[in-house]
Amino acid sequence: MNRIKRFFGQGNIGYLFVLPAAIYMLLLVGYPIISNFILSFQDVTVMTLNKPHKPFIGIRNYRTLLGDGVLLPSLVNTFVFTVCCIALQFIIGFALALFLGRDFSIARPIRGLLMIPWMIPMTVTALMFKFMFSSNVGILNQFLQACGLIGQPIEWLLQPRLAMLSLIVANTWIGIPFNMILISTGLTTIPPELLEAASIDGANRRQSFFHITLPMLKSVIESVLILGFIYTFKVFDLVFVMTNGGPVNSTHLLSTYSYKLSFTLFKYSQGAATANILFLILFVVSIAYLKFVYDDKETD
Amino acid sequence: MKKWLAIAIVTLAACAVFTGGAFAQSKKTVTIWNYWETPKHQETLARICKDFNASQGKVEVVTKYIPFADFKKQLSIGAAASELPDIVIIDNPDHASYAGMGIFADITDKLASWPDLKQYFAGPLNSCKLDGRLYGIPFGSNCLSLYYNEDMLKAAGVKPPKTWDELKSVALKTTKGNVHGFGISAVQNEEGTFGFLCWLWGSGNTSFQINNPNGIRALALMRDLVKSGAMPKEVINWTQGDTMNQFISGNLAMMVNGPWQVPTMRAQAPNLKWNVVTLPVGAKAASDLGGENFGVVKGDKVDEAVAFLKFAASPAEMKTYINDFGYIASRKDVADGQFANDAVMKVFSAQMASAQPRGPHPRWPEISDALSLAMNESLTGIATPEAAAAKAQKTIDAIVK
Repeated sequence: MNRIKRFFGQGNIGYLFVLPAAIYMLLLVGYPIISNFILSFQDVTVMTLNKPHKPFIGIRNYRTLLGDGVLLPSLVNTFVFTVCCIALQFIIGFALALFLGRDFSIARPIRGLLMIPWMIPMTVTALMFKFMFSSNVGILNQFLQACGLIGQPIEWLLQPRLAMLSLIVANTWIGIPFNMILISTGLTTIPPELLEAASIDGANRRQSFFHITLPMLKSVIESVLILGFIYTFKVFDLVFVMTNGGPVNSTHLLSTYSYKLSFTLFKYSQGAATANILFLILFVVSIAYLKFVYDDKETD
Repeated sequence: MKKWLAIAIVTLAACAVFTGGAFAQSKKTVTIWNYWETPKHQETLARICKDFNASQGKVEVVTKYIPFADFKKQLSIGAAASELPDIVIIDNPDHASYAGMGIFADITDKLASWPDLKQYFAGPLNSCKLDGRLYGIPFGSNCLSLYYNEDMLKAAGVKPPKTWDELKSVALKTTKGNVHGFGISAVQNEEGTFGFLCWLWGSGNTSFQINNPNGIRALALMRDLVKSGAMPKEVINWTQGDTMNQFISGNLAMMVNGPWQVPTMRAQAPNLKWNVVTLPVGAKAASDLGGENFGVVKGDKVDEAVAFLKFAASPAEMKTYINDFGYIASRKDVADGQFANDAVMKVFSAQMASAQPRGPHPRWPEISDALSLAMNESLTGIATPEAAAAKAQKTIDAIVK
């Protein structure tokens, strides 16, 4: 008892305050992650789910997955999807933030309206885009045909490449407001005097953008890109509703493929292995994010 | 003094708890999970339970609805967490999977002396079995047949097709402008497999054979229909409900669908002139057996569950609900004369003679995935029927052998 008292007496009382949070994280975050890793090294399927002994098979699940012809394309899809979405969202979001930062009379209401895509439930958006991209009755093909731009309907969701493109378009539309609002906030932190002084010194718009605005926004941009990466990399509902991985498994992402393995095919261990690959990639990205934030604090 | 008082109170409380528990145990509660989403189905199921609860005083049956999309997930999670209901109303091809998982009770011996078992059709009853043991009984059955738009076929001067070749030509002749001649549900999941199997079986194959001339012929039929423009490629995104909507909107001249659509079609498109014939025949007549089974879950309430099953399956009770579900009775004595005055439902009844169950195999979901993938590959032209068949066979052989 005395030793405990002495331990906390020496300025270590902080540990006590951290304890509830630590226990919470261990139980609700740590335990599932570890049990998921264990599951991915076992052979748990329909046949073995309720057996007391679950055979341990090492990395065989990962090997099977690498050879199944769907996991690797899903991994590539996930990266292509993420990089394309982030690039488009970021550029369009940035442009809109700059445009609306000019504070004309209807800038505020427009900014509010632009938040709508971010607030609509993902499944609703997905269904809406699914209807719009439908090749026979979709509004997009009807519009293009009415304008005389295309003769035959384009098979948006029926061809592997086009289906991926449709998903990217839909997800970009959803993600623009997130980028815009964070960058807008960042822009307001740049003192106007700085830009004013630059223009007095003869800097043109381009120069002040690349030499003042961008460097001043460095930490905001890092956060936007990395948070955007994490949100986009683990997207599930949009793809699940719009294509469900089709046509012919061509638009599966790691998340949807993991779901399919676990809950459609009942290969729980392989589903867990796929989820772990997703987790490891995001884990690395999160560490990088923390490092960026930490480094920024150091230099401040 | 205070201490004694406390002990007295605790003892009294404990007694109250135990007697309370004893009271609750005098009437056992049996829970049924189901995924029927239409109010009519829910009301009818609740009525069956009410009839049973009123017929005896020992067991109280209650129902719980779980959406179809979540159903298998809930059941798997429930199995892992030991939180299962006592009876499950389950899609018939999944019955073997869950029996293989070990969640269903073997009720072969409990029903051995039940005379009614002989009345059941072989197809539906086999879907309740795994390795010859019985894990439930059929609830009701349905199958697929060919719907056609009478006006469109008349305008094209053709009769409903009887063979695969006739299907191709009739579908092409009725394709005009925005109207496609033929449509099925071909989504890449169990629903799409359901839409494809009648063709695979019709070619003369079983559920587990695809890489032979028969299987390739079935895949080629799908490809040819899309290639000629008679069937829209979009069928790979159509559920059976979507296909029905396209048909009643006048975008399809023919479709393959089940009897459960009949009540909706009569209500939503009263002026549309349509009819039903049995499916076009390839090498032999074939259709998919659909419908649900009662599965009895392992546990301490198996006897109560079986008592309920016997009640719900009795001819007198079954006659009160089976029509409301749009199902064909799984037992012969009820099915005979079930649709004396309904020409459309009579066609489905006749089609039942050639309806087969999917699988059954405990790893059916994986086999089904391989089959629907092969169909999607040939339909979209991503792979030739030959390549798609070879790939699917490899997957299936790895599971079956």
